[in-house]
Amino acid sequence: MKIYPPESLASGCRHPGGQPLVEALIVLLVGVAFAFGANWLSPRGLKLARNYFPAESNRLVTPAKNIGVPFGPAGTNQALPSSAALLASRLTEQGLQLLDGRQANQLFQDPGFKTGAIVFVDARDEIRYHEGHIPGAYEFDPYYPEKYFTNVLPACQTARRIVVYCNGGDCDDSESAALTLKDVGIPISRLFIYGGGITDWTTNGLPVEAGARNSGSLHGPNQ
Amino acid sequence: MKPNPPSLNRAAELFTLMARWLLGAVFLYLGLNKALHPVEFLKLIRQYELVQSSLMLNSLAAALPWFEVFCGLLLLAGVAVRGTALMLMAMLAPFTVLVFRRALAIHSIQAIPFCLVKFDCGCGNGEVFVCRKLMENFLLIMLSAWMLAGRGRKVCLRHALLPFGRRR
Repeated sequence: MKIYPPESLASGCRHPGGQPLVEALIVLLVGVAFAFGANWLSPRGLKLARNYFPAESNRLVTPAKNIGVPFGPAGTNQALPSSAALLASRLTEQGLQLLDGRQANQLFQDPGFKTGAIVFVDARDEIRYHEGHIPGAYEFDPYYPEKYFTNVLPACQTARRIVVYCNGGDCDDSESAALTLKDVGIPISRLFIYGGGITDWTTNGLPVEAGARNSGSLHGPNQ
Repeated sequence: MKPNPPSLNRAAELFTLMARWLLGAVFLYLGLNKALHPVEFLKLIRQYELVQSSLMLNSLAAALPWFEVFCGLLLLAGVAVRGTALMLMAMLAPFTVLVFRRALAIHSIQAIPFCLVKFDCGCGNGEVFVCRKLMENFLLIMLSAWMLAGRGRKVCLRHALLPFGRRR
């Protein structure tokens, strides 16, 4: 029997092209372990088993196909339905109702808003919320719901109408937020999506509140 | 064959060192940008429709940024340089194709010149003009290829993990 010197035992790794390949595999294995570990330790880490896009299965148009499509009056492709029509159709499939800017403003002016019968929920992230939100709106980032349930749930449980909004346009975080609220027991008949979102709200010159909820730091035409 | 003069070798070594640090710093920066905003990255990569399962999508969005950070650190420290360079090429090449395809789709829908197509490709530096992004990626691939060729071992903690290819 031939005895091989120890140096030649890893002959498979000694092919000039093989060495980086084996090294890359080691980097891959260790790197993947590092990556999942870092995600687990990170306070902003993703939860792997969570469905962050609950509306996904009912989507009529996926974001990828929607990117860059010039919807609306300025659009060039008239065969495509408007984004508002697509959104309304998608929300109907999910049992949610769409509000336009006029309706959202009516609810905002309604006396029920002062008593808590009507609640606004901002489904954007913390930074955008603090930059400016509809006055009195609750902060509820649907990607980190546990952080906000304590404040939002009691308000939603007693409200008759809950208006959820995000940036507007392609943003579907309001849908995600509404479906998350539905999953924790808020009746879907009370959930409304303000499709135009904060973009439409500010475009219409309505007031926004900066900082925390009820901070009193209002900006708008009448403030 | 006549060997290279020492000054040329030194210049090549210095270039390689700078290239390795540049590549490492770029991946560290881009990786951290994504890792600190994982939800934004998750939304962006969802648009590529790479996977259908939410578990796969979440795993990709959770792991990819930190994996880039890991590769960046390896390159900065000079550990497993060739293997890391190969991994970077294996990530960069298909991703560049995806960016190109998506840019083509936007170009055809919006009917604007290809190089005026601007979008957030999920690369970690926000909205960019596609031609610039493709050029950057090409440069990064070339630098990775240079590292993969085994050039330069200066200031490396451990250039090769495996014994083969070490200078004696």
